[in-house]
Amino acid sequence: MDKVIVVDHLSKNFFVNEGNRSIKQAISSIFSKPQQKVVKAVKNLSFTIQKGELVGFIGPNGAGKTTTMKMLSGLLYPTSGFISVLDFDPFLKTPEYLKQISLVMGQKNQLWWDLPVIKSFEFSKAIYEINDKDYKKNLDELVSLLGVSGLLYTQVRKLSLGQRMKMELIASLIYKPKVLFLDEPTIGLDLVAQQNLRDFIYEYNKKNEATILLTSHNMSDLSDLCRRVIMINEGELMFDGALDDITHKFAQDKVIKITLSEEIDTKSIVDIGVIKKYAFPYCYITVPRSTVAFAAAELLQKYPIIDLNIEELPVEDVIRTIFSAKKV
Amino acid sequence: MDKYFSVFKISLAQEFVYKLNFIMWRLRNIIQILVFFFLWNSIDPTYFGYTQSSIMSYVFLLILIRSIVLSTKSTDVSGFVSSGDLSNYLLKPVGFFKYLLSRDIPTKIINITFSLFEISVLYLILKPNLFIQTDLFQILLFILSLIIAGFIYFSIIMLSNSAPFWVPDIGWGVQFLVTIIFVEFLSGAFFPLDVFPKPLFEFLKLTPFPYLIFVPIQTYLGGVSTVETFKNIIIGGLWAIILWIVMNKVWKKGLKVYEAVGR
Repeated sequence: MDKVIVVDHLSKNFFVNEGNRSIKQAISSIFSKPQQKVVKAVKNLSFTIQKGELVGFIGPNGAGKTTTMKMLSGLLYPTSGFISVLDFDPFLKTPEYLKQISLVMGQKNQLWWDLPVIKSFEFSKAIYEINDKDYKKNLDELVSLLGVSGLLYTQVRKLSLGQRMKMELIASLIYKPKVLFLDEPTIGLDLVAQQNLRDFIYEYNKKNEATILLTSHNMSDLSDLCRRVIMINEGELMFDGALDDITHKFAQDKVIKITLSEEIDTKSIVDIGVIKKYAFPYCYITVPRSTVAFAAAELLQKYPIIDLNIEELPVEDVIRTIFSAKKV
Repeated sequence: MDKYFSVFKISLAQEFVYKLNFIMWRLRNIIQILVFFFLWNSIDPTYFGYTQSSIMSYVFLLILIRSIVLSTKSTDVSGFVSSGDLSNYLLKPVGFFKYLLSRDIPTKIINITFSLFEISVLYLILKPNLFIQTDLFQILLFILSLIIAGFIYFSIIMLSNSAPFWVPDIGWGVQFLVTIIFVEFLSGAFFPLDVFPKPLFEFLKLTPFPYLIFVPIQTYLGGVSTVETFKNIIIGGLWAIILWIVMNKVWKKGLKVYEAVGR
């Protein structure tokens, strides 16, 4: 069983009622069937993930990431296509399946609001049938990692948002799932906790050979953790491969970084490329990939340059460009 | 089984958090009973074929049976469906219906305990003449009728909980119609159903509602023939099975269109 996640030609449509724009429409909607619109949230998506892979799943808001995660965890019934996770059909939601996966979402609420946090964990211990030894070990590990040992006997409702997020994470991981669907796990966490969590995800992946699919808008999450990313936009697959390859595939420009010995008139550079940043003695210029060698030669000839480097655009910039271009 | 025992335990703990809420809820029950009591105290029950003693027994049984049959936490499920909170429950490795039923047991136990207390207090104040059933066989049938009633009620509630799968904005509307109008009115919780004209009463007995309250009380009081009692148990049992199957089918269909909104 090498392929843990198999997604083949997966699609999901939603029917959305058009909201009432005026009171008149609102009144008439009581008597008539509302106008429905089909939203194609996921279109013909295919990918496979091997055991032990840690894959970043990226795309702008509304790209269909969470919808895909919900189908993978069994919450949503696909409109068409095939999914298999650990050789299970997720939608059947058999207990054997659910014990091996975890869906972590920023706004999930699985803690018992009125009771001390520890009660929720004890409850998880019972329903996931974790033995005493593992329970204690996992709990201690997670609690010290997230730094919440002093809060275990506090009522859930009295916790701050960030503290509650940490507790939700513990509840999602305490049964050591083999497959993790992490939907923006670092949202709402402070910087220390974010870094701790990143380290933890990395360790967890290594130690347990867990398969992890991670969505995040936080580039550090991706660059620290994921060698492979799957990028979708408007429900369609745009890219599947190594994070660094995104730049090769999508960036039409490269960046030339020069260090100058004296101030120059930047206006004249416009013929060569676009100035991204000028702060003497540094100047960053983006130029089309095809003309980069020529541009570098011309720069060296015309300006008092101490140092010159040709680099790829930062991956954030590339991704941002792709998404904003697609939005139109 | 351990899993469901832990659902029981944690729900019981939860139950004690909202103490005041619970007391209010019991108060509402008592007021309903008092209305019933004073209504029947002021008219002649013999006109409807009841004796003073049997109608008072009806009232007191009503307190107990309401807590056994009608006390449930499952009415919040329709909210879960429309808000998307249902996702949290669907991803737990427990059967959702079993989960709900295990969660209802502490609710029922606490309600029964309180209702027994209330019955004692009301008994001391009102000093009614009560009918005590001593026939063990009749008591067994009574218990059976209560189990049937519990399942019918659960299925009815879950059917109304399924509505938001298709119409998310419907929420409490359906629930109100179902629990207040149909369940309360047609089950015998407001008045014994045999005060209705005979054809209407016979028609009602073809619906599942009388098997919630009226039939269990009648079974306890034993006012009808053994044949009639068995007929009641069989029709009630059939309803329990039919509604359970229908509810399961509807729920499964609902899960296919469930949108897991909220994120």
